[in-house]
Amino acid sequence: MSWTHRERILAAVNHEVPDRVPIDFGGAEFTSITLPAYENLKKLLGVTEETRVMSIIHSVAHPAEEILQRFDVDTRNVMPGRYSGDRDRWVDENTYVDIFDVLWKRTEKDVDQHFLHKDGPFYDGKLTIDAIEAYDWPDGKNAGLAEGVPERVEEIRRNGDHAICLYLPGGFIHRGYAMRGFEAYLKDLYKNPEALCRLMDKLCDFWVDTAETVIDAAGPGNIDIVYFGEDLGTQDGCMFDPEGIYARHMKPRHRRMVEAVKSRTKAKVCFHCCGSAYQFIDHLIDIGVDVLNPVQVTAAKMEPERLKAEFGDRIAFWGGINTQRILPFGTPEEVSAETRRVIGILGEGGGYILNSVHNIQPEVPPENVVAMFEAGLNHRYAEQPL
Amino acid sequence: MATEEIYQAVLAYDEDLVVELVTEEINAGVDVGTILNDGMIAALDVIGREFSEGTIFVPEMLMAAEAVQAGLAILRPRLVDTGAKPVGTVVLGTVRGDLHDIGKNLVGMMLEGAGFRVVDLGIDVNPEDFVGAAAEHDADIVALSGLLTTSMPEMEKAVAAVAAGGGGSSKVRTMVGGPPINEEFAEKIGADGYGVDAPTAVERARELVRT
Repeated sequence: MSWTHRERILAAVNHEVPDRVPIDFGGAEFTSITLPAYENLKKLLGVTEETRVMSIIHSVAHPAEEILQRFDVDTRNVMPGRYSGDRDRWVDENTYVDIFDVLWKRTEKDVDQHFLHKDGPFYDGKLTIDAIEAYDWPDGKNAGLAEGVPERVEEIRRNGDHAICLYLPGGFIHRGYAMRGFEAYLKDLYKNPEALCRLMDKLCDFWVDTAETVIDAAGPGNIDIVYFGEDLGTQDGCMFDPEGIYARHMKPRHRRMVEAVKSRTKAKVCFHCCGSAYQFIDHLIDIGVDVLNPVQVTAAKMEPERLKAEFGDRIAFWGGINTQRILPFGTPEEVSAETRRVIGILGEGGGYILNSVHNIQPEVPPENVVAMFEAGLNHRYAEQPL
Repeated sequence: MATEEIYQAVLAYDEDLVVELVTEEINAGVDVGTILNDGMIAALDVIGREFSEGTIFVPEMLMAAEAVQAGLAILRPRLVDTGAKPVGTVVLGTVRGDLHDIGKNLVGMMLEGAGFRVVDLGIDVNPEDFVGAAAEHDADIVALSGLLTTSMPEMEKAVAAVAAGGGGSSKVRTMVGGPPINEEFAEKIGADGYGVDAPTAVERARELVRT
């Protein structure tokens, strides 16, 4: 039988075996390619179409349809429209203020060109419930968020049967860091949890409202994957206590977000968590997360063998091709071998979608990008030794 | 007796109590070296070990390091009066092209808490600025941080610049750290030390100033 793109993705997330490993490229803002690497890839492939930017803040491109077709990519991306009402603004080309009044900056010398948050509305002093309540919060029902969504869904459906991946940015941890400051947020977890939890709730409200707005605009039946997440891990371990902090304060709010999606759609939920997600995976499974991304295999306790053995029957994996060593510094042959190795482990019995760990970084040679995707394209479950 | 209480207050992440107890101890005439070494540094070493072992996490290490920094702020003028020298001087920064500073700041706090003098040059620092600051502050160590894989070549350049001793600082040792960095890379670029996390960076820095 021949498989559609959508069937391939859904088989994988349902732990079934499609014809080949499903491939994602650009399904979400953290499964795509940075602008400098994308320009190199375009040159190698002879693609001349003007680059479309998925996120200027994260310096990420929308891969051109021509490239997606070349690699027979199984996903297509849908995102919320631009918030209407001019809440956000550019101060200069390296300084941006977003709709949450967070100041983002980049440096001109930065090869990577992505922005980092450097100031926000709750940066200074003690975080108080009064200040949180008094803040003029953006509205997740803003009409701009739905703009362009139905047209994009229609375009994807017209061009083929791809799995539609809805990326919903923000969460109460990352956006919380941005509004409050990273260190202050982490200390508030212990020293001022009541106010911090109120901040989390406000951000959660916005996310849930946005999810509803965009899902309704897309048509709930059209969404196959809802992709969101935030970083719970570091390279070597957990950002915070997986039980005392995550399970107590954060997990119930992530559950609310997952339930908001699942009560409205049949979509599978993919949760993005950089670094060592290991100690959080059971919690994520418990709240209904179906797929884990980006599977940072170079972080602590994130070896593909370990993950597949411990969690492989309960959660699927998306990503996993080594961004910190092999993609930037390996040869195309090494990339190809590593890709086949990871497919063999994480993809055993389904449960795996091929992608790099996080976005393809600026210095990754385009030959390595091609080698990764071609290893996926040439994969056949039927030919895999049992 | 109260030195033990300072130790406990650091382990309890209680900045206000650390400040209060350090002030009391100074007023009671307790040796400032004892307050520093037995009260604060000893406690932060425990915190560092627990962090490396994965029994405590970033917020706890942050709170403990800040409690020690608050105590140090009171203690520092007294240490200067007694002629006590810092364990060593570290010039610290995130390499050119990289704006990430969370890891660097944690390393800086833990180094200060271990009795080092830390000169933090911030983010996006040029190689020549590391060299210049090392000479200006008579540094023992230049510590380079970076999160991105794109920062790794920058790190190599900065290590080479410091090793070349542009500022007449040939005795200066270099340390590197950050998510994409490992021992192998540190060795390859000729860095003298690498710390997988902030407490390990402190251990390496201690070794470097001893040798």
